[in-house]
Amino acid sequence: MRNLSDQEIIDSVRKGNDSDYSIIVNRYKNKAFSMLKRMLKNEFESEEVLQDCFLKAYKSLVNFKGESKFSTWFYRIVYNTALTRLSSQKRKTESEMTSVEDHFNLESEYGADEIEKKDMKEFIHDLISKLPERYTAIITMFYLNEMSIEEISEVMGITVTNVKVMLHRSRNSLRDLILKTKLAEELL
Amino acid sequence: MIQITDEILNKYLDGELNREEVEQVKSALHNSEDFQKKFNVLKIVHDNLSIVKEDELSPGFTDKLMKQILKRSTVPKQQKYFIASVVTFITLLCLVIFGLSISAMISATSSSIGDSNSVFDSVSGLSGGLVKALQHLFSGAGLSIIGSIFSLIVLISGYFFFEMQKRSKANLGNGQHL
Repeated sequence: MRNLSDQEIIDSVRKGNDSDYSIIVNRYKNKAFSMLKRMLKNEFESEEVLQDCFLKAYKSLVNFKGESKFSTWFYRIVYNTALTRLSSQKRKTESEMTSVEDHFNLESEYGADEIEKKDMKEFIHDLISKLPERYTAIITMFYLNEMSIEEISEVMGITVTNVKVMLHRSRNSLRDLILKTKLAEELL
Repeated sequence: MIQITDEILNKYLDGELNREEVEQVKSALHNSEDFQKKFNVLKIVHDNLSIVKEDELSPGFTDKLMKQILKRSTVPKQQKYFIASVVTFITLLCLVIFGLSISAMISATSSSIGDSNSVFDSVSGLSGGLVKALQHLFSGAGLSIIGSIFSLIVLISGYFFFEMQKRSKANLGNGQHL
């Protein structure tokens, strides 16, 4: 059976074949979950929010006009739902409290001994969830979901320039932290 | 000559510089150990981020979600069927009442129609009979019976509709927690 496009599946669901929605769910669930898990920093909560996102998307399929890709539209639901959840829990929602010009300090998240015990891959992967939520979302969308800068800007509702600035800042902060450790010496 | 900044190194990594700028960055990297170190670690970060693996959800996630979705779409259908059946029943009842009125009117005026000669007399006879039949039906005991039947229908429909709403809400509530 050929791989159906998102639009073909959506058309089928709209015609009343509700069970076809499971194809969409299976296609996006793990990637969206990875993003939520890193943003919310809680596995159980991420699963709950993801379920909510799929239900929202299902109910809003009628409003999906196909002007953007389904993935972009869906990730916008995921991203906004995650931010709403963070804000409702009165966590520090970086999106509301800081601007793109603000700084964050990853160094304070780790002790020197802790860093040296890890290998590079594990260390970098751990660090993604230590970034502020919006930066985590950008890194996940760019690297894991392989979305373009333009798509990410559409999902987050910010300019392409700001997405680039935040992406560069995330990479630079990870790099600077590595440069301060013995991990860098081993690699170079 | 461009100044080698973190932004330029990132753009170089993403392939966003033009040919001239690329040459300048290459030359700067060749001549400066510091830039080279910075760029190499940046590339390591980039490469490691590129191999981030997606997290796996619990195996039953899709099934549970789909059950919830299918349940949601079934509830409105049930409600639609229920409302349609109530409307049909009321319509049929109205038709029966109307039919009875007509038959009562025809039997009451049949003798007078047979005697009259003009169409006008026939029509006026029929309408007079209809009015009489309706008056009979909607006055005194007839009105009480019809009112009672309608009230009973409304009460029964209201009860079932309320029960259905309650059940559908309970179903949706249970579905919130997979």
